[in-house]
Amino acid sequence: MAALLEVENLSVRYGDLMALRSASLSVDEGEVVCIIGPNGAGKSTTLAAIAGGVRPVSGDIRLEGRSIVGRRPEHIARLRLSLVPEGRHIFGTLTVEENLQIGGYMLGDRAAARAGMERLLGHFPRLRERLRYPAARLSGGEQQMLAVARAVMTRPRLLLVDEPSLGLAPRIIDQIYEILLELRQREKLTLLINEQSSARILKFADRIYVLRGGAVQVEGRAADLRDGEAIHRAYFGFGTQDSAPAETAA
Amino acid sequence: MHVFVARHQTPVLLIVLLGAAVAISEVGGLDALQVTLVEMLIRVLVVVGLYVFIGNSGVISFGQVGFMCIGAYAAGWATAEPSFKQVMLQGLPELLQENQFSFPLAMAGAILLPAIVALLFGFAILRLNGIAASIATFAFLIIVNSIYSNWDSVTAGVSSLIGIPTPVGPWVALAFAAGGILVAHLFQMSRYGLLLRATREDGVAAKASGVHSVRMRLLAFVLSAALVGAGGGLYAQFLGILTVDTFYLSLSFITIAMLVVGGMGSLTGAVAGVIAVTVIVQLLRFGERGFPVGSALFKLPVGSGELGLGLLLALILIFRPNGLSGGKELALIRGPREMMPEGGAVAGARALQDDSNAVA
Repeated sequence: MAALLEVENLSVRYGDLMALRSASLSVDEGEVVCIIGPNGAGKSTTLAAIAGGVRPVSGDIRLEGRSIVGRRPEHIARLRLSLVPEGRHIFGTLTVEENLQIGGYMLGDRAAARAGMERLLGHFPRLRERLRYPAARLSGGEQQMLAVARAVMTRPRLLLVDEPSLGLAPRIIDQIYEILLELRQREKLTLLINEQSSARILKFADRIYVLRGGAVQVEGRAADLRDGEAIHRAYFGFGTQDSAPAETAA
Repeated sequence: MHVFVARHQTPVLLIVLLGAAVAISEVGGLDALQVTLVEMLIRVLVVVGLYVFIGNSGVISFGQVGFMCIGAYAAGWATAEPSFKQVMLQGLPELLQENQFSFPLAMAGAILLPAIVALLFGFAILRLNGIAASIATFAFLIIVNSIYSNWDSVTAGVSSLIGIPTPVGPWVALAFAAGGILVAHLFQMSRYGLLLRATREDGVAAKASGVHSVRMRLLAFVLSAALVGAGGGLYAQFLGILTVDTFYLSLSFITIAMLVVGGMGSLTGAVAGVIAVTVIVQLLRFGERGFPVGSALFKLPVGSGELGLGLLLALILIFRPNGLSGGKELALIRGPREMMPEGGAVAGARALQDDSNAVA
């Protein structure tokens, strides 16, 4: 059986800059896959390309075997491939409830959307308390939860989450990952997540891709990478046991 | 029931308010005010039309008055004296030249023609965002003005189109203003209104939620053109005479000023802006004509009306950037849906926050 999502030799160029060089990855149904890497590694570009936000110069992206390259973002969202964009893109002056409704409209089934919202709010008690608040009044962590909840309202076959921890306190990040874990178990979500920090991810994910300089450096099962040596080497270009960095440039 | 009343109270309150103004002027026999009142009600329809697009999409359009022009001429073509049309408007189809159509048919034309033009033009420009879209709408206003000024055989060019019957009085204008308010309200409560406001708030997130921004904008643009066009049709059948330059920069400016003064974040703002600006400009015009204070005649300098409007706009922008309504709707009953504060307070809340505090 083909993987749910297959990305093959994907390259993206911003002007002179090659943001992604022939990166390949795949996500199976029910899996949690994480892309980690330093700033500028091409993590967000990868997710943006999958979600239709940027057009790759070459390579293929297939959802259940069907190519989705070149489709517009709103079409891809309608294939129930949902992106939680980096930096909490929420609808600020609309209420929390309206934000969630917008996610649910895509289903085209009011009753299902309402039931979905009810079930979802069970995972987000904090959002339930603030249903009639304008979303911009929420704290940063709550806004991130809202962005995730809105994406889950579309009942995604694959949920893409771009740096959920960005700019949040460690305790809030833990809460967000707890919720993601819960959603994974209860809603049978398949997840592809970007992160900079690896420690938390190594416990959370099934498989890991380490991206640096726009190319996949290491991939493997999270369990096999837990000692950190391979990741460290991929991240910095040298390992923890090496005496000195011989060459740090990519 | 309570929820229903709370949800739909705003348009009812606004209509009752406008209806009271008409009733008072009728009962009080204030005939001098009638012209002002009808003009005000027509502008309510036009500015509410502006609000449907600008308020919900966040894209400022300078071109909606172009649709008013199209609507007005559509009504004029339908209802002007055949004897005039056969001499002056020989480019019109014979059906229009030889017949004089009824008020309802003329209004249907004044609604449909602008809507069709909006569909075609909107399709071309609504992919643009922000200021680029605004400039394109401004270009549209200029295009409409050029065409209508120069297509002599159809519009009588820069001379006037005359001989239009004038069945429009305060009650007719009120009925259309009320209709416009209801349409705007229903649109804003509908899922399309909500989805359009989502694109206004955050384009990236809207796309990620599967919202077709262009389609939503186009829908509002066409609806807006229909309402504004109806305003034009009424205006034509109120004045009885049409010139192209009536529907140009000054009217475009004053209608946008009304929306800004009232607040483009709410339907109440659109209506309140028309009322406030009309009252102030009328008072200043009254002052320009002069009125006796004791034995002396007090007189404001000519041009005070325009100057006063400019000053009002500046003051509003400085002290109440979200307009008189502040983005809130008129309400007597507090519904389950709390009003949405916009602008300043929200922007402040959006700024960096200490998460640990907020969550603890």
